[in-house]
Amino acid sequence: MGFFVRFWGVRGSIPTPGPRTRRYGGNTSCYEMRSDTTVLIFDAGTGLRELGLSLVRSPPPAGLELHLFLSHPHWDHIQGFPFFTPAYLPTTTIHVYGSEKNENYQLLSGQMANAYFPVAFKDLSARIVPRSFTGDVVQAGDFVVRRFDQRHPGGSSGFRVEREGRVVVFATDCELDQLLLDPAAARDRPDARRTLPASVLAPMRDADLLIADAQYTDEEYPKRVGWGHARANTVVDLALQAGVRQLALTHHDPMHSDRDVDAMVLTAVERVRAAGAELEVFGAREGVTLRLDRP
Amino acid sequence: MATRTQTIDDDAPQTMMNRLQAGFRPRPRRAHRLEQTAGPGSGARHELSADLLVIGRGSSADLRVESDDVSRMHARLQRLDDEYSIEDLDSRNGVFLNGLRVHAAVLRDGDTLQLGDTVFTYTEGA
Ligand SMILES: [Zn+2]
Ligand SMILES: [Zn+2]
Repeated sequence: MGFFVRFWGVRGSIPTPGPRTRRYGGNTSCYEMRSDTTVLIFDAGTGLRELGLSLVRSPPPAGLELHLFLSHPHWDHIQGFPFFTPAYLPTTTIHVYGSEKNENYQLLSGQMANAYFPVAFKDLSARIVPRSFTGDVVQAGDFVVRRFDQRHPGGSSGFRVEREGRVVVFATDCELDQLLLDPAAARDRPDARRTLPASVLAPMRDADLLIADAQYTDEEYPKRVGWGHARANTVVDLALQAGVRQLALTHHDPMHSDRDVDAMVLTAVERVRAAGAELEVFGAREGVTLRLDRP
Repeated sequence: MATRTQTIDDDAPQTMMNRLQAGFRPRPRRAHRLEQTAGPGSGARHELSADLLVIGRGSSADLRVESDDVSRMHARLQRLDDEYSIEDLDSRNGVFLNGLRVHAAVLRDGDTLQLGDTVFTYTEGA
């Protein structure tokens, strides 16, 4: 039946509480995808704390079984884990996915080392199971999840999530602008379509929803080259080339107020319109749930 | 510096307690509200006080809208931690938050909700 996506944390880099960011939200990276039987969690930024509270509010009788996927171990993507209430319940099982070596598991536990946090990872009551992708695919409950590499300092993973013909791609922390086929064109003619290689487009192909890092405006980017994040306009062009239906701009910059994000969304919408395309663009916002399995 | 020491001396333990307790005294508050800006019944204002209410065309709905575009039980408003969330109850025409079709959302000041031809603006109380 249902395929739901909920945004729990959409801020990049560091939490930003306060009135300027209240509408889109100040919690860092955390996204939930669920069906009637399966709960997938993407990233464990500070948004994870509230997801945890919501999960323990109505836990299934047999205990929670959760599948956790981490894009990469930068702070804004793991910092919520020590405050994730279900991890303290013996009835919870958390599958943590990573590559063969599964450094994700080590990195989650590493941040709970003595000097950083009072509770040790081994003292968490939940059953925490390291899992590896076989190749780049894994079956998690009734979802199929494919992992792909992204351009980011230290590397990051994107995930293509499929269930009953519906596709959501989670692609945070990727500097698409370093992958452009003609980077000079983007600089000299910002309005021209920015072309990305087929290898970058493939995992996004025909997604119903693409959730993508779009941290910077065109004006901001030149001073942040190499920081690992994309220009929103480049993400729009990626989505257009990949035949994406709906695009959620996310990893909002800590300096961006709600109005700034609104302005970026508006620019993106105008870019889509100028291209004569149907793509729907919006800003990822904390506390919003979308349903994917509608006709 | 002298002035500051003075202030602290003035804040006798009893005064401090009174101040803290004052924070717990019930104060008059302005409720969160929905104002209908389009659709049949436009102009209606609803102060939200219940923990749970249903918007719909049906006679059992708490917030009734006389529009064929609105399902009998269209959406549910739920209060949690003094915030309201809206959830689509499998309605025919869906719930749109500021133009985006959503299944559910935590509402924020100034949000626009569209249910069929009926539009509301949500305002947070103080
Ligand atoms: Zn990040
Ligand atoms: Zn990062």
